[in-house]
Amino acid sequence: MSDAITSDVPASGPAGVAAVAARQAAGTGRGEERPSRRVRSLTADVSAVGEPALWAFGGALALGIVLIAGFLFLVAWNGVTTFWPKPIAQVELRDGTLLAGEPTRSSRYRPGENILEALTAEELAFIEANDGFSDRVLYKTANFDLYGDDFRWVSDFEVAEVLYPEAFHLFEREQWGTFVGRVDGLVIDNQPTAFDYRLMQREQREARQRFRQMRRLERGEIGAINYRIDQQRLAIRRAELRHGAESERGAAMIAAAQARIAELEAEFAIVQARVNEIRDLDRRFRVILAEVNGQTRETELSQIVRFYPANALGLMDSLGIYLSRWWEFLSTEPREANTQGGVLPAIFGTVAMTLLMVIFVAPFGVITALYLREYAQQGRLVSIVRISVNNLAGVPSIVYGVFGLGFFAYTLGGTIDQLFYAENLPNPTFGKGGILWASLTLALLTVPVVIVASEEALAAVPRSMREGSLACGASKWQTIRHVVLPKALPGIMTGIILAMARGAGEVAPLMLVGVVKLAPALPIDQFFPFVHLDRSFMHLGFHIFDVGFQSRNSEAGKPMVFVTTLLLLVLIVAMNAMAIYVRNRLKRRYATAQF
Amino acid sequence: MSNSTARSLGDAAFQRTVCHVKESGLGTALDIRGFNLWYGETQALHGIDMAVQRGGVAALIGPSGCGKSTLLRSINRMNDLIDDLRVSGSIVVGEQDIYGPGTDVIALRKRMGMVFQKPNPFAMSIYDNVVYPLRVDGISNRRILDETCERALKSAALWNEAKDRLQQSALSLSGGKQQRLCIARAIAADPEVLLMDEPCSALDPIATARIEELISELKGSYTIVIVTHNMQQAARVSDNTAFMYLGRLIEYGATDEVFTKPRSGRTEDYITGRFG
Repeated sequence: MSDAITSDVPASGPAGVAAVAARQAAGTGRGEERPSRRVRSLTADVSAVGEPALWAFGGALALGIVLIAGFLFLVAWNGVTTFWPKPIAQVELRDGTLLAGEPTRSSRYRPGENILEALTAEELAFIEANDGFSDRVLYKTANFDLYGDDFRWVSDFEVAEVLYPEAFHLFEREQWGTFVGRVDGLVIDNQPTAFDYRLMQREQREARQRFRQMRRLERGEIGAINYRIDQQRLAIRRAELRHGAESERGAAMIAAAQARIAELEAEFAIVQARVNEIRDLDRRFRVILAEVNGQTRETELSQIVRFYPANALGLMDSLGIYLSRWWEFLSTEPREANTQGGVLPAIFGTVAMTLLMVIFVAPFGVITALYLREYAQQGRLVSIVRISVNNLAGVPSIVYGVFGLGFFAYTLGGTIDQLFYAENLPNPTFGKGGILWASLTLALLTVPVVIVASEEALAAVPRSMREGSLACGASKWQTIRHVVLPKALPGIMTGIILAMARGAGEVAPLMLVGVVKLAPALPIDQFFPFVHLDRSFMHLGFHIFDVGFQSRNSEAGKPMVFVTTLLLLVLIVAMNAMAIYVRNRLKRRYATAQF
Repeated sequence: MSNSTARSLGDAAFQRTVCHVKESGLGTALDIRGFNLWYGETQALHGIDMAVQRGGVAALIGPSGCGKSTLLRSINRMNDLIDDLRVSGSIVVGEQDIYGPGTDVIALRKRMGMVFQKPNPFAMSIYDNVVYPLRVDGISNRRILDETCERALKSAALWNEAKDRLQQSALSLSGGKQQRLCIARAIAADPEVLLMDEPCSALDPIATARIEELISELKGSYTIVIVTHNMQQAARVSDNTAFMYLGRLIEYGATDEVFTKPRSGRTEDYITGRFG
């Protein structure tokens, strides 16, 4: 019996103990020496001599780790590889159709009866040779403006020939997404010119500069002028509301505002003229793109964000495109219904909302915990409050969203609007979802986490420390302020970190209280008062949902889902790491000696 | 020991405190008169009468649970933190009855220093620990704080070890030094009375000897009440010793007499190790 055990399991840990126990049991059986207490042998009960559940415990842990690691690997792999340039295949089908595109993924399927009926004998033979199965490849043919679709499945039995011609380029456009095809010709300064890669690269770079300049003028200067005109219109409305249009003071204010509007409109005309001038120049530089079957599209060079000969790239070229795509992703606004371009506004919105939430939740939660733990008379009422707080942590987050919309946005915001922004009504200012209400809603959602963690941390401060401080003649508040809180701070920080992680990853309530698919402006800009807490904002979590499941073409958005998920994970990890770093520094400050 | 045992020993034994105190000649610093204390329904102290001489060291000895610490913590009203606590009788510090109406507990505690069973330095630097009592009084004058810190650390015989690391965390000190730091903190604000609740129970013999030396040095400048389990320690450091048993003060008198020829049979039984 004992031999079986020792040979089965390595003699280490609990299993080793079991082996020793079994050996002792065997020893007593031989009657060499009798210990006063008999160790039961394996026949009696396995739990008496070993750790029968050890493998189950370890297995559960291993399963958890495998699941998490697999998830992280999936996200990381898909996210990291998305931006790597893929080759373009030109596929000729047996019926003579030509198509070109990036092979995206492939799968194996069994063609159904209805498909088989329509096939030629040659194709049927191909399938039969394959045991009734066929592989198929999903090609990203792009050219949505020509085909009305971005993707096409091609089964292997349809294919006559696959080529990778070097003439094929991939064009990323400002509008209509990507284009796969050849360059038919260039128009430089209204002169038709033959295609030359270097020439086109140079001209495209210049054209992009013009494009950015136009955008700067339109978004920046014209945007600012429009904003100021709006402010003056509101001023007129305000004057009417407060003083009446007929009163002397009101009339004077209205006249001043109208004069200012006239000035601004003149300014607007000047800037607009400059924009038109640049646009006219820009129209003189065009490119003619031709898809695989020869259909052409003429477009301004400035509309081409990026282009490259997909089948003629060296490693360094690919790396350059890869990095420039990442940079575009991190530093620009989205385009094409969020399926292309960057996510800068979403990054900004996520970070701003999370930080704002921490600003609200940290003091509120800590003060509540202080009262509950330090001041409140411990009794039935406090127990009920404590249980309720714990239960709040389990309420579905969408409920908080509904509450946030109803209470914060409509009730609080509506009142604020009536009191301070009456001139803007019936358009709401604070009376709708916005970053302020979103962060307050999330603060409410995460405050139980902070309260519970802070209470635990406060309770863990030894009584002797409080007594030491009180014995020095400190008041209760001085004791809390100078002794209890610093000692409890690392624990409180842990609570705040948990709250941050929960808040940054929450999406459902945000959809009700301020997150939008595409925010026209960031909550921080150059106009007084610089921080606009009433504005709606973009959020990475919602961006994932929108790109993956709400866009016109979810297949096109799929890679972006992974990249955005990866980014959101990295962002949350980074914010947490920062908070943990701060906490550890605090801990080290109060490090205890070993004795 | 339960109440039934106490009754079986005969209430006569508890009826009156045997008192033969050695006078310090400076008068009384602390006068406890007819002091009773209840935790809820349980009476923990029964009619304690005890006068502590100014500038002297009074030791409280007795078996566990006899009420030594409770009595000590009553002197600076540390027991106030406990719910459901009642007292009767009076404790007079200087001229003030500290359980009288309208007593400012915080002001009272400022007149006393206390050293606890386990070293309890705060999670701050050595310097901040020592000047903590001054800081809570609102003193922020750097010169006063520096002087106080140096004086208190010198009194607590910690200055030489700590002077170069005043800004380091107090928690980086060893246990014995932490306790000396706590003594420095307790005497920093120049208290009238220094209360010590088994200050050496968590320390090794060398640190204990160091602290006992310190108590001898502080004697005279401060009135000290020390609770101890160690009878040799009580014999070494104190002028007067109080023997408590089951919440009663059995004998209170000059230390050398209590340990050599105790006047109460119970005291003799305890110090000779016959029970306790």
